Amino acid sequence: MVKDASAGSTSLVSRPVVIEGEISGDENLHVDGRVKGIIRLTGDLFVGASGAVEAEIDARNIVIQGTVTGKVLARRQFEVQPSGRFNGECTAASYEIREGAVFEGISKMSSSRPQSDKAPLSPDPNLKKKL
Amino acid sequence: MGLFAKEKPRAASPVAGRSDHETSFFGTKLSVKGKVSGGGNLIVMGNLEGELQGELVVAPSAVIRGEVKAVTVTVSGSLSGTLTAREKIHLEKSAVVSGRLHAPRLSMVDGASFNGEIEMQKPPESTPPLKGTSRNEAN
Repeated sequence: MVKDASAGSTSLVSRPVVIEGEISGDENLHVDGRVKGIIRLTGDLFVGASGAVEAEIDARNIVIQGTVTGKVLARRQFEVQPSGRFNGECTAASYEIREGAVFEGISKMSSSRPQSDKAPLSPDPNLKKKL
Repeated sequence: MGLFAKEKPRAASPVAGRSDHETSFFGTKLSVKGKVSGGGNLIVMGNLEGELQGELVVAPSAVIRGEVKAVTVTVSGSLSGTLTAREKIHLEKSAVVSGRLHAPRLSMVDGASFNGEIEMQKPPESTPPLKGTSRNEAN
């Protein structure tokens, strides 16, 4: 799967916990509880089946088994597993949405790492002149 | 939370064996600003600014600023601001605390640094009899 340990340790928001505010840092985060606000991570965000996140999210890989609502940027991969629900606007370099998952909203491919089946949207106009 | 049937937590929490007290963990490089509520225990190794319920353990590398409210608090790290505990506050040897402490019970290990103000209000219930260590059935 997408989890690798390159961003170091994983912090945990356990099931009975509710956080309203901002979470940021150079870590992976596993959410089984509820988070409302802003999440900014250089690592990965994993939302467990009991997790509910309503936030503006910026993370490397995002894996959803629970519920996520909001504006989301996954710098690498955005994955919604069969039990997961996503509602909002998502920008990611790659998507994986499993059968059974719910995805409602807008998805955008980020151009930082173009996928094989998606050419960059606007080629540089200066490029032609040089050729 | 208590309304629903309690299931065994699926994901392993760092402290196992306390079925209804799941432990949350904020690592050294995580910073949390805001309100943390809902119960369970919390181990903070990074930055926390806010309010929380439950048991708080402030690890040696932790830096906590602002107003923190919890049931019991154990500090080994650095904390500045107002700390309110409904039951007790314990400052470990490595603790560096400045600000205001509010708790009915307070303990401090030799070596802990504390600058500020302490207010020890009476516990909400009647005071424990004599040197009551643990009145409930916990061994």
